[in-house]
Amino acid sequence: MSSAFELNGVTCRFGDLVAIDKVSLSIAEGEQVAFIGPSGSGKTTLIRLLNTTAVPSDGSLSVLGYIIADQSVESLRVLRSRVGTMPQHLGLVENLTAIQNVILGRGGQRTTLRSIRDLIIPSRSDTEKIHQLLRRVGIEEKLFTMVSKLSGGQKQRVAIARALFQEPEILLADEPVSAVDPARARDSVRLLTELSGELGFTLCVSLHHLELAKEFFPRLIGLRQGRVVFDGAPDSLKDRELESLYELTADEMMADA
Amino acid sequence: MAMNSTIGKWGRRRWIVLGIVILFLLCAKSLGLTPAGLVPPDETRWERAGAFFKAALSPAMDYQDENVPEDAPPIWFKGLYGLLLTLKFAFGGMSLAVPLALIMGFFGSSSWWPEPRGWFLDLFLRGIYFAFRFLMSLLRSIHELIWALLILSAFGLSPLAGMIALALPFSGTLGKVFSELIDEESRDAAAALKAIGHRPLQTFFVGTLPAALPNLITYSLYRFECALRSSAVLGFVGIETIGLYIELSHEEFYYNEVWTYFYLLLALIVLVDFWGAGVRARLNSHKGACEA
Repeated sequence: MSSAFELNGVTCRFGDLVAIDKVSLSIAEGEQVAFIGPSGSGKTTLIRLLNTTAVPSDGSLSVLGYIIADQSVESLRVLRSRVGTMPQHLGLVENLTAIQNVILGRGGQRTTLRSIRDLIIPSRSDTEKIHQLLRRVGIEEKLFTMVSKLSGGQKQRVAIARALFQEPEILLADEPVSAVDPARARDSVRLLTELSGELGFTLCVSLHHLELAKEFFPRLIGLRQGRVVFDGAPDSLKDRELESLYELTADEMMADA
Repeated sequence: MAMNSTIGKWGRRRWIVLGIVILFLLCAKSLGLTPAGLVPPDETRWERAGAFFKAALSPAMDYQDENVPEDAPPIWFKGLYGLLLTLKFAFGGMSLAVPLALIMGFFGSSSWWPEPRGWFLDLFLRGIYFAFRFLMSLLRSIHELIWALLILSAFGLSPLAGMIALALPFSGTLGKVFSELIDEESRDAAAALKAIGHRPLQTFFVGTLPAALPNLITYSLYRFECALRSSAVLGFVGIETIGLYIELSHEEFYYNEVWTYFYLLLALIVLVDFWGAGVRARLNSHKGACEA
């Protein structure tokens, strides 16, 4: 199998802060991976590196076989249109309808004028496709509802539908369940892994909810202070390793206080 | 310690207030303002002021001017016609000002700039940004009455002159506020669209601009109310709005007529105010919901 991501000694610094520290890992196409670790461990930065909105300060990163450092601005943009991203705060346009938000999923593959037209008069085939997608994620009756009028769980489904309409080869989701209640969180994570299986896209999700990660993902990657401290199947994750992932060192406790 | 600094603050504030009072007294003295000046100098002035305010209680139901021909339309009809003209100028001025402001507001905002950009492009974009910011402050630093005088002396007394006189300063104010509303819009949606391959301009037109649109509309409605008042005032430099009728009646001391026009204008402004508040409430209803 070819690889979705290939990281070799990747470091990412923001000023003095080392957010990702010499990370090497490989994720194959079609894999389902959860990034786990405490907040501030580098999960979000890792997602941003993978969707190329952040660039490595050091080391080499390739996405879908393309070495990021060698790409022009335009070829990075085209690459991004093949990788779906669900940011933590979803990034929906609140005063547009569900269908208008979903149709923007394919914007990276369309011209600017076409995207503007899509917002004003969506084509019949797009409308039908989006209607099906919303049925799949369970909110088909909200097709023409303004996103601001939806609940947190429904907004999340709009974001999932937007990602699906993009027909990505990879889907990255940053803490997709941080804003919904536990029962919905479980449904959402299950939906994402099911869709990944059905449609065959690579799925990388950052989760601080360890139980969900263990239940649904065949591979967990544990991050701690920007380093990979664990990489393997959930049942090989020993309690001791878990403790070391979340336990605060004396220094960190001082920093928190 | 805390007590001391509070006292220090109070002391400083007292000095500032004292300074303002002294400045006012100096201005008043240099302008020749005395308490005696508040009293009208002679009996006729008293009478005139009294007559003016007494007329407020009995607005004219018919023309005070005896030379008005018999078949002239009634005064309330003339007043309503004046209001219609006032509305037309306000609406026409805003129709010119809003597209101008959208264009200037776009160039005066920075949220559509591509990232990353080379130093040359960066310098170029900053140049455009400051040029448009300067143009907008130039347009709004001149009051619509002054614009009207400038344009009237150039083009003569034409309806178009009135519209342009309104449109220029209003486009400056609208454009400045538009650009700020656009740049203050949350960048979450724009970042999400960029992450899936949208181009910078595309992100602006399908993400940032639609997100800012309710705020832009709300502000434009508010400015329409302002345009209505300004349009009436343009009557005082000869453009045919209800302000011209007020001015003409006032010149002839037909105070009851003046009050008739005043009351009609007031009614219109209150009406537009209510309508604007209704539209604003509907447009912004999504804000409460999104915080829930």
